[in-house]
Amino acid sequence: MRVFVAACAGLLTLGGSAGAMAQNAGPTDPQIAAIVVTANQVDIDASKLAESKSTSKEVKEFAARMITDHGGVNKSATELVTKLHVTPQPNATSKSLQDGGDQNLAALKKLSGSAFDRAYVDHEVVYHQAVLDAVDQTLIPSAQNAELKALLVKVRPAFVAHLEHAKHLQAALGQKS
Amino acid sequence: MTVLVRADRPESDLSNDLHLRRHRPAQMSKQTPTRIFPAMLAIPLLVGGVACSEPAASSASQAPHTFTVTIENMRFDPQALTVKRGDRVVWINKDMFPHTATSAANAFDSGSIAADTSWTYVAGTPGDYAYVCAFHPTMQGRLTVQ
Repeated sequence: MRVFVAACAGLLTLGGSAGAMAQNAGPTDPQIAAIVVTANQVDIDASKLAESKSTSKEVKEFAARMITDHGGVNKSATELVTKLHVTPQPNATSKSLQDGGDQNLAALKKLSGSAFDRAYVDHEVVYHQAVLDAVDQTLIPSAQNAELKALLVKVRPAFVAHLEHAKHLQAALGQKS
Repeated sequence: MTVLVRADRPESDLSNDLHLRRHRPAQMSKQTPTRIFPAMLAIPLLVGGVACSEPAASSASQAPHTFTVTIENMRFDPQALTVKRGDRVVWINKDMFPHTATSAANAFDSGSIAADTSWTYVAGTPGDYAYVCAFHPTMQGRLTVQ
């Protein structure tokens, strides 16, 4: 539980920052670009660790899917910001995402076996929910450029499907105990 | 385009429309004879439209049709599709990452369809096939082969 709480701290911060931004001026497009790229990258990093470290076929497959899908989103996001001449600008939200990702990785590295699988999948559930909330409450409403907004709208269903998938996996892992 | 209309709208719906159209002019005929003609003309036109879009109805349409299923926003669109044996079904992936079209009954399996690419299946044994994206099980579709 301690591990789980530590791993989630960064995500809670994400929610907090996103909420604060929504009340004040929202993030700019360059800031949104940094948030999107960081959000995808931290999940790719955690999933790469899971792919190499997990002993569960289902967890490995899920991790491989996260690496591929979030990699695809980041490729599209990078192509778009390049086309729009937008330079991603690090900000409080992207930094809290990165810090949360780093903490998650550090926590996961200390675990193995079913404890690792649970911690990874638990974090995937919380992570996808937090990012989904940020997409809905902050990123889509704040995006100024129509193409950037369209990209966020298009990315959203993937986060929903990933969240569902992670929840199923979480339930399946729970039944094994 | 007639193909799409046929897929979205079963023939039975059109038949119902035809019955309605046939009845209305008959009831109106004594009072307003001049209005019959446009209404009656519409019937053969409608029937003609149905015949043209029905592969079995003429020799020219024996050739296989090509149907498209767009994969976008984690969905198959149309979600359900009915084709005839020998028709081609093209799944086009417009998402940013790979998907599959995998029949639960192993009737067909696209394997990974990369972003912005497509996969074509020539409909085989008639049947009703539920399929999923093997990568994203929440994505479900149905292909009916007649």
